[in-house]
Amino acid sequence: MRILAFDTAAPTNTVGLVDDDRLLADYAWEARDNSLQRIVLNIDQVLKRGGVALEDIEGLAVGIGPGSWTGAKVGVTVAKTLAYAVNKPVCGVTSLEALAYQCRTASVQICPLVDAGKENVYGAFYRPRGKSLVRKGDFYVGDIKGLVAAVKEPTLFLGKPAHLYRRTLARELGPLASYGSPSDSPSGCVFAWIALPRFRKGDSDDALALAPLYLKESLAQALLLKRQQEDSGKPSQ
Amino acid sequence: MLILGIETSCDETAAALVDDSAVLSNIISSQIDLHASFGGVVPEVASRKHVEAIGYVIKEALDSAHKMLSDIDGIAVSARYGLIGSLIVGVSAAKSLAYALKVPLVGTHHIEGHIFAPILSHPEMPLPHVCLTVSGGHTMLVYVKGLCQYEVMGNTLDDAAGEAFDKIAKFLNIGFPGGPAIDRLSLRGKRTAFDLPRPMVKSRSLDFSFSGLKTCVVNMFRGKEQDTIPLPDVAASFQEAIVDVLVSKAIQAAERKGATAISVTGGVSSNRRLREAFQETCGKLGLEVFFPLPELRTDNAAMVAAAGAARLERGEASGLDLNAVPTAPLESTR
Repeated sequence: MRILAFDTAAPTNTVGLVDDDRLLADYAWEARDNSLQRIVLNIDQVLKRGGVALEDIEGLAVGIGPGSWTGAKVGVTVAKTLAYAVNKPVCGVTSLEALAYQCRTASVQICPLVDAGKENVYGAFYRPRGKSLVRKGDFYVGDIKGLVAAVKEPTLFLGKPAHLYRRTLARELGPLASYGSPSDSPSGCVFAWIALPRFRKGDSDDALALAPLYLKESLAQALLLKRQQEDSGKPSQ
Repeated sequence: MLILGIETSCDETAAALVDDSAVLSNIISSQIDLHASFGGVVPEVASRKHVEAIGYVIKEALDSAHKMLSDIDGIAVSARYGLIGSLIVGVSAAKSLAYALKVPLVGTHHIEGHIFAPILSHPEMPLPHVCLTVSGGHTMLVYVKGLCQYEVMGNTLDDAAGEAFDKIAKFLNIGFPGGPAIDRLSLRGKRTAFDLPRPMVKSRSLDFSFSGLKTCVVNMFRGKEQDTIPLPDVAASFQEAIVDVLVSKAIQAAERKGATAISVTGGVSSNRRLREAFQETCGKLGLEVFFPLPELRTDNAAMVAAAGAARLERGEASGLDLNAVPTAPLESTR
């Protein structure tokens, strides 16, 4: 099954093309605010190098974040529009699962982390099961201390924040914490391989409805919600 | 030539199919109710809504025109001028479609779209003419020498006219968007109730400035209870001051160029008093005045398709590396 995948939500943007387990072509570049300019050209390059026409792919996988909000919007919009134009199924894949995928044979739970700005992280806990990963509980967004409080068992931390906050993790968790390699950004093919079992089951996302995973409201939205909650909490006169 | 237009530069997600000068569909998904709770457009909220809506809006533009993707000959998108987070969504969709359908892509300037709205509405409109384009995001006087040939004659130095309407409406607490709210209230008010300044109206410059006028109104009524303010009179007087400035600058521009026609476009061209004043004044001076059809006044994609078609006919297409640029000058054709 030929799957085209791409991710523009991570600092390293990626495009990958696979046929089942076989990697046909892939490409990665450092996104310096150029995701929008480069993505379609790089998709074209990868398809050409893989010798596959856009019409001949059988599914699209796309990184939906969490990560760069702008990057995720570009990737998701390109994916939904391409899927609609060539009438192929599309699957959204989270950046956290893509990070965890590379260590899916670990014997302990995996906690991939993505920088959320303002000293916050996005995170989730995954349990390896067979060759795939099962997410345990909800996605996390907040500071590293809040995340650490939820860790009660040996955990493999992945992603750049795992290295940024290594001293905190080591201090709070001691031997419970282990760490992956610091340069572990997933290739485009990883997004395709995560989507592959879903496509094989005939499962996919609604292309037109596909949306990024932001995990945070915009500041204005958050303030409005807070104000509405305060207003509704006031005693009526 | 069947062109699909895409417009996401502010808070409207829009797609339209235009075949020569026939508008086959013109779909607009407005976020206005959403932003009303904030009292203005919130960029991050707007861009998220664009991602959610864009696919449905494009599909609806095709379905309601009974056309298929394979019928499309070219894609035009507002790529320059607007909110960056909003522009990127339209540009992402446009370049993906152009790539998948193997048709030419053209990125246009948002203001160029507005200039084309009256041309699309009235194909008989003479060229050259002077175009006053005025909305919540811009206020600009452009000499349209020919299709895609522009000379910018005046620009706002601070607030756009529509923005001044929004800010005063917010201050008076009468609703968002401000233009329609003030227009409605003014019907019951006296235009001469308050003697408000007409900023820059005597200046030789064709630039606009509305921030001082806004401050003047705010200073008059700051700290007063809303029910002690004669709202209809304030609305009518404030609106009249803005209309006076817009009309007089547009007429000056037409006289300077010897143009026989003026077009008034953009969201504020829906203002009842503005249209009335233009018709009165232009009538007296023997100038023709043109307004877009109502559905082409606020942001829409039919005007983008029309501008894109004109560019494509001149052999100007964009590459797949097309970028979204929030501030960019209005460029003439090569």
